[in-house]
Amino acid sequence: MDYANETFLDRPVDRRSFIKRGIAFVGAGAFTPPAFLRAVFDEETRPLTSASVTSAAAKRHVLVVLQMAGGNDGLNTVIPVGDRAYFDARPTIALNPEASLPLEQGFALNPAMTGMKALYDRGQLGVVLGVGYPNPNRSHFRSMDIWHSASMDESADTGWIGRLLDATKYEQASMWRAANIGSQEAFSLRSKSSFVPSLGSVPDYVLQTDNSFRGEGPRRQQSFLQLQRQAEALAVQAEYGGQLAFVSKTGLDAYQSTVDLHTAVTEYKTTITYPTTPLASALKTSAQLITSNLATGVCYVTTGGFDTHSNQQGTQNGLLGGVSNALLAFYDDLQAQGIADQVTTLVWSEFGRRVKENGSRGTDHGTASPMFIVGGGVRSGMHGEQPSVANLDGSGDLKYTTDFRSVYASVIAQRFKIDPKDVLGGSYPTLPLYA
Amino acid sequence: MALATERQRIQHLLRRAGFGYSPEELGEYLALGLTGTIDRLLNPERVDDAVAEVAADSFREKALQDRQALLTTWHARLVLTKRPLLEKLTYFWHDHWATGIRKVNAPSYMLVQNEAIRAGALGKFRDLAMAMTRDPAMMIWLDNRDNVAKAPNENYAREFLELFTLGEGHLYTEKDVKEAARALTGWRVTAAKPTPESNFPVATGVVFMPRQFDAGMKTFLGETGKFGDEDVVRIVTSRRECADYIGEKLWRFFAVPDPTPAMIKRTSDAYFANDTSIREMMRVILTSDEMYSAAAYRWRIKSPVEHVVHATRAFGLTDRVPRIVRDTQTEGQALFDPPSVAGWNWGEAWVNSNTFLARANFANEVTRRGKPDQKLNLDAAALLQANNAGRTAEAAVDFALDLLVGGDVDAGTRATLIEHIGGTHYSFAEASRSGALQGLFYLVLTMPLAQLA
Repeated sequence: MDYANETFLDRPVDRRSFIKRGIAFVGAGAFTPPAFLRAVFDEETRPLTSASVTSAAAKRHVLVVLQMAGGNDGLNTVIPVGDRAYFDARPTIALNPEASLPLEQGFALNPAMTGMKALYDRGQLGVVLGVGYPNPNRSHFRSMDIWHSASMDESADTGWIGRLLDATKYEQASMWRAANIGSQEAFSLRSKSSFVPSLGSVPDYVLQTDNSFRGEGPRRQQSFLQLQRQAEALAVQAEYGGQLAFVSKTGLDAYQSTVDLHTAVTEYKTTITYPTTPLASALKTSAQLITSNLATGVCYVTTGGFDTHSNQQGTQNGLLGGVSNALLAFYDDLQAQGIADQVTTLVWSEFGRRVKENGSRGTDHGTASPMFIVGGGVRSGMHGEQPSVANLDGSGDLKYTTDFRSVYASVIAQRFKIDPKDVLGGSYPTLPLYA
Repeated sequence: MALATERQRIQHLLRRAGFGYSPEELGEYLALGLTGTIDRLLNPERVDDAVAEVAADSFREKALQDRQALLTTWHARLVLTKRPLLEKLTYFWHDHWATGIRKVNAPSYMLVQNEAIRAGALGKFRDLAMAMTRDPAMMIWLDNRDNVAKAPNENYAREFLELFTLGEGHLYTEKDVKEAARALTGWRVTAAKPTPESNFPVATGVVFMPRQFDAGMKTFLGETGKFGDEDVVRIVTSRRECADYIGEKLWRFFAVPDPTPAMIKRTSDAYFANDTSIREMMRVILTSDEMYSAAAYRWRIKSPVEHVVHATRAFGLTDRVPRIVRDTQTEGQALFDPPSVAGWNWGEAWVNSNTFLARANFANEVTRRGKPDQKLNLDAAALLQANNAGRTAEAAVDFALDLLVGGDVDAGTRATLIEHIGGTHYSFAEASRSGALQGLFYLVLTMPLAQLA
């Protein structure tokens, strides 16, 4: 299907009208639009992109980030099947090269990753080898923070995507320009100025009101909003104002974003059957947002369990199979909607694992590991260089070859078309990740 | 002025060192006064807790095999206990020694750990650290049961130093992690054989396997010897850095966002003067001026468990216990299933649009008018009448605010609530019939202030 024929292009967005409808629903007169909405009232409404715009550069690009929390073992994900040292270091957990899924240059995917092998065969899967950073930290939490903030500074309080949102001014009028799927907001999304909604699923994202008393429901909603605004005003003067301001703003934003969401997300249909896992549901929800006219440009999903200190093989294969099948369904869906080449998915984990297996058929915390970049527009195949399994650091870990910030910089420069320095605070060599 | 009256100080204390209060409970503590209340909280063994015990026990047998029952038995204690500080610390330590059922898999192991934490929650920190080091669930969660001399597994050793005792980057090196891992070798978990009816093994304890133990010399935090697990625990818990790390976390959890070095020194001094006593550290905190200072007031965002349990206790909704298991999960905290070994993320991380809606929807659920013979939903009219607070709109609003946020609310907010239930036209009968009284409690529960402890 041609992208230009799909859903939101047929129906130019009239955000102004749906926001007004949302307010009308609250009750007449009582509502002054909060500051974050006022811009919308003043701005001329325009479609996200229009059928008359044909150049690829004008198309909306979407970034999906999939975090594999816990430290995924890269060597059993993208297996150096030609390297004896790999098999020597892992007498019980090395994967059988016969069963693995061949890529190129002597690498193969974990046998469970049939979905991602299909994406590779389709020319939609890039592998960036040996991704890490200098002076690797082997604490999950510290290392995650480094990846989220794209900074070595422990006091960093914004995420790299948060700063990307601030820097691009991308679709600022939409509360849904970025979305966190799940109940824990990812640090990557944290910004100085942007609200980022978190949601579990579209149907559950509502403010329920008891309708068993006539008239009480709408009255209650009006009082609810007024109390949030009064708290917001009080926060300016109260000594405990910091948290009060935060909670009341979240309350108001949460409410308004339910109105926006349900006004916009009505049309999504898919013929693809997603797996019944939380991760696949999160990606399906992402597809729902991306294909709506909410102007969603970033979706963040997280899946966990990769901390495989013991009996790694069964656990990790199961997890990688889950990620891989969910991603395939997601891209099958995007392909069917005609937008697969506009959606990039980055897959990362806070570190790889020790080269030598431990005594429990598992691996301890390590350093560099591969990242995946998925999408119709990406340059499929291997990027960067594989660290040597024979030349390790003092702890027996791989020496990284590509800084993760180079991957971020490449996506920022090649897709969002802004200077990565504005987001990352420094310059990093880019890789040709897109075709 | 913040916390100007003794009533407000006791309410504040009960939000922090407990899970809120019902009107009756508050009355009991007010009669004791602040000093008497602190004394009772610090000495839970003097308080009869039969109601909570009986309720928790009624789910215990089933909890050995069933995850839902496991959650229910703890939620029953949270809602019913008369030993609020003990339960609050059990909750605090569960977050600290965060262990997850996803990997441990067997509910009985989690129950055994929960009971061990409760038993040691106010005891000596060294004993608690030792109990957790040999706890079967912990041994599975952080792989110490697989840690053998021939090939050490450093998972527990690393998190023990990084998260449980010293803090990341404090005092220890990568070499100390490896040496501690060697000293922690040699332990296995034992379990009863599964029966045909059981789905999961039942924990029976741990056993030392001398042949799997690395008996060689180790150098750990500057000391050298043929160390075992007790030595690791002894060496670490005798360090000032350990007392400081634990003390700072307790100050933050119970009192202020930014404890000063002088405050941390006071808890560490109590720790060393009393053989690593947690109770004495807590006494320092709860009796401190800082605990009741402006800096301590309303800065802390309630966790989902605190939010749900506070409302459930305030309204006396004891029949709701099995349901609030789902409510706390929807708001973002599934007990026995922390997001990682570092426990839950606190503070602003609790509140995003998704979890804010969950909190509001929980409030909507508990304030639906329910059946009179069940303690599942709030009966606002009955609650107000029982407390002689329904006669005027002002009295009703002030009662709800006192119960759920400890009063001290700006005039504008109060006026909005008074207006909601009728304002100058208020009549108890009409506000009760129209649902406005139910609405009053919904609105107070969804107020930003009610999300703060």
